[in-house]
Amino acid sequence: MDQLLRPLHKWVWSDPDRRVRKLLIFGEVETDGGRDILRASEVTPDPLLRRLYLEHAIDELHHGVLFKERAEALLRQRPARSNALFGGNPLPGGHGLDDLRVEDQGDPKLLAFLHIAEKTAAGRFAIYKDCVDDDPKTRAIFEEILRDEVFHMNYSYQQLGRLSPESQRRHVWRARTSRLWHRYLRVAAIVAGLIGDTIMTILYFVLLPPFAWAARRAERRDTPGWQPIPRDRAESPTSLY
Amino acid sequence: MKILGISAHYHDAAAALVVDGVPVCAVQEERLSRKKNDASFPLNAIEWCLGQAKLDTNDLDAVVFYERSMLKFARILTCTLRAFPRSWRSFPHAMKNSLGEKIWARGIISSHLGIGREKILFTGHHQAHAAAAFLTSPVRRAAILTADGVGEWATLTAGHGERRADGTDISLLREIRFPHSLGMLYSTFTAYLGFAVNEDEYKVMGLAAYGRPTMTDRVRKLIRRTPDGAFALAPEYFEFQTTAARSYSSKFLDLFGPPRPSYEPIDVESAEGRRFADCAASVQRVVEETLVDIARALHQETGLPDLCFGGGVALNGLANARILAESGFERVFVPSAPGDAGCALGAALYADRIYFHNPDRDVPDHPFWGPAVDGAHLARAAREDDQQVDELEDGPLIERIAGDLAAGRIVGWMDGACEFGPRALGHRSLLAAPHAIEMRDRLNRDIKHRESFRPFAPVVAAETANRYFDLPAGGARLARFMSGVFPVRPEWRARLAAITHVDGSARVQVLERSMAPRLHALLEAYGRRTEVPVLLNTSFNVAGEPIVSAALEGYSTFRRCGIDALVAGSTVVTKRATASTKRATEHVA
Repeated sequence: MDQLLRPLHKWVWSDPDRRVRKLLIFGEVETDGGRDILRASEVTPDPLLRRLYLEHAIDELHHGVLFKERAEALLRQRPARSNALFGGNPLPGGHGLDDLRVEDQGDPKLLAFLHIAEKTAAGRFAIYKDCVDDDPKTRAIFEEILRDEVFHMNYSYQQLGRLSPESQRRHVWRARTSRLWHRYLRVAAIVAGLIGDTIMTILYFVLLPPFAWAARRAERRDTPGWQPIPRDRAESPTSLY
Repeated sequence: MKILGISAHYHDAAAALVVDGVPVCAVQEERLSRKKNDASFPLNAIEWCLGQAKLDTNDLDAVVFYERSMLKFARILTCTLRAFPRSWRSFPHAMKNSLGEKIWARGIISSHLGIGREKILFTGHHQAHAAAAFLTSPVRRAAILTADGVGEWATLTAGHGERRADGTDISLLREIRFPHSLGMLYSTFTAYLGFAVNEDEYKVMGLAAYGRPTMTDRVRKLIRRTPDGAFALAPEYFEFQTTAARSYSSKFLDLFGPPRPSYEPIDVESAEGRRFADCAASVQRVVEETLVDIARALHQETGLPDLCFGGGVALNGLANARILAESGFERVFVPSAPGDAGCALGAALYADRIYFHNPDRDVPDHPFWGPAVDGAHLARAAREDDQQVDELEDGPLIERIAGDLAAGRIVGWMDGACEFGPRALGHRSLLAAPHAIEMRDRLNRDIKHRESFRPFAPVVAAETANRYFDLPAGGARLARFMSGVFPVRPEWRARLAAITHVDGSARVQVLERSMAPRLHALLEAYGRRTEVPVLLNTSFNVAGEPIVSAALEGYSTFRRCGIDALVAGSTVVTKRATASTKRATEHVA
């Protein structure tokens, strides 16, 4: 699928504004993901996993810094002109925006999730690396990150095998399904949000004008400065007003 | 009586538990969820509080939410209507935001905690601030001032309180209403200067020291004083009341010039950097003067010697110091958590004293209401990772750490229960020698990863504080929770270079032995070695993360940045270069 979309990726990365925006978003996602994995290192009872998660988290946090610094360097060369298309889309292969609740996962589920996430990210980053041929510094960042992703992908799979050898594949398939489900939920939430915004905007222009007129008239009576608070102001402890 | 206080949904959610009139525990949600400024409903914090007191939700007599959410919604709706049709973009977001969760506070609490709706109570936002400031202070009578961005409608309130044997009275006499807000004025400049609103306001304060208040006339165009001694913002310079997209208007930009892009580092040596520093200095000056005038009038009106000051604006240590020096109040009390997190405790105390008319009780005068650290957890993890671990009695441990600090090492210090509020006050601190400017740079570079213009704070024992810092009468009290900025005495500035800000000041913590005895002993031991019993004390976290709470959080921070030694209880871990697990397992790749 990603290979088919390669021209689209190329087009997205060809615009400097979109490139900066992507890098900033990646920086945020990698940092969020790093913090989740850091949390995993703090809650796992397994000493080896604690060390591996910690190394993984340090890598992710470092990736976040690399992306952010590169975006800022590009911005300093040429400030962004406008809100570009494809501006806010999250990193498809990342995991920072999946709102991972590490405490509720358990190590096998988490490892399977990490394996799938890193594998997808590695695939995408390999494509992005080729899309920024004209920008050696950005390309070098992708190359460095790709090396780390291979380690992340492998250690998570190997450790999953160590913890639950009999259900390793099942965990990976479940993680894959869960990821698809979350992706669907995310798209559904975006669509629902758009529908909600449309309805609210219609209501705003259809229903609100008379109330707005009344609110403006009432505002004229407001005087700035101190407003006394009457001692007998009725304030019921159970009232939301 | 068992009362749970909750603050949530705006920023920095928290829960606090009051049993028989005395706080038992309080914690911000971020310390448990590990998401900085976590505003979500504080389920983790509530669970921890109930677990700490060994209570079930059915044991609670009341749950108190810190604001009246429908009243707040009414304000948001009214402001949207007033800005019609310019508010059309922000309207859907504002409605979804409020209708999705925020206004259903009663239902949310009831469903999460499984308690009857009759047990769920509400206080006003500024009532909770006032109670957090007054009822946690050690005074019987005091004037009360609260100031923040905005609560329901109020942005600033003034009044007084009295604790008597037959009951407690908190009377807020008057208020200034949204959109006229000192907090919003400051936040607007925070955004203009390229910092994060509701998070980085203290950076504006730090930057102000590098500038001169050359733009106060321009700032005063934004905020005019009203004949009754209050103030009013000029709406044409602001957009926060009409849209969530931007705080300042084009007219604001005409007045102050282009804003600082957040990605651009601040170079205070450059002309542009100086402009931003002057801007920060100017708004800081105007906010200080306005607060001093309001506090002075309140002092004259009440005739009381003490002021309790709450709300997010009370985190402005420069303004607090000026209020103490110039308003006529002899003492100013700022709680350890003056912001919205503190409202959880304030709401619970308010309900206990005012709604239930329970007798007044003294509240312990310390900020340590959070989860305690367990050194055994640290020892186990560090041994598994082949780090050097020592378990020591207090005496040898303190001597050893004092030696480490004197040798220029950076120490992560975890002791007992964690602080309630944004400051590290000696239980979750990074400690270092305060003498050389290189230490400040090293902390910024290797651990905190933050802007070079931001100062580090010192901690000093109460007995010797006046020797190093120019504290006015009442200054030590204000510095108890690091709430005031005071001058470092000129003769010590060179030897306290890492904690002396560019203007010669420091946000000092004055520590009494009874508040944190081990840290106090460490200061004494350090003083014996170096003849200067002052330490650099900064929060134990790295940029973008909450202050650590549990031992393993401290340990993971220790492992990934330039901290040399870590202390939790009686456990000391010293960093040892270990083979990378990554390299050791890389053969699988």
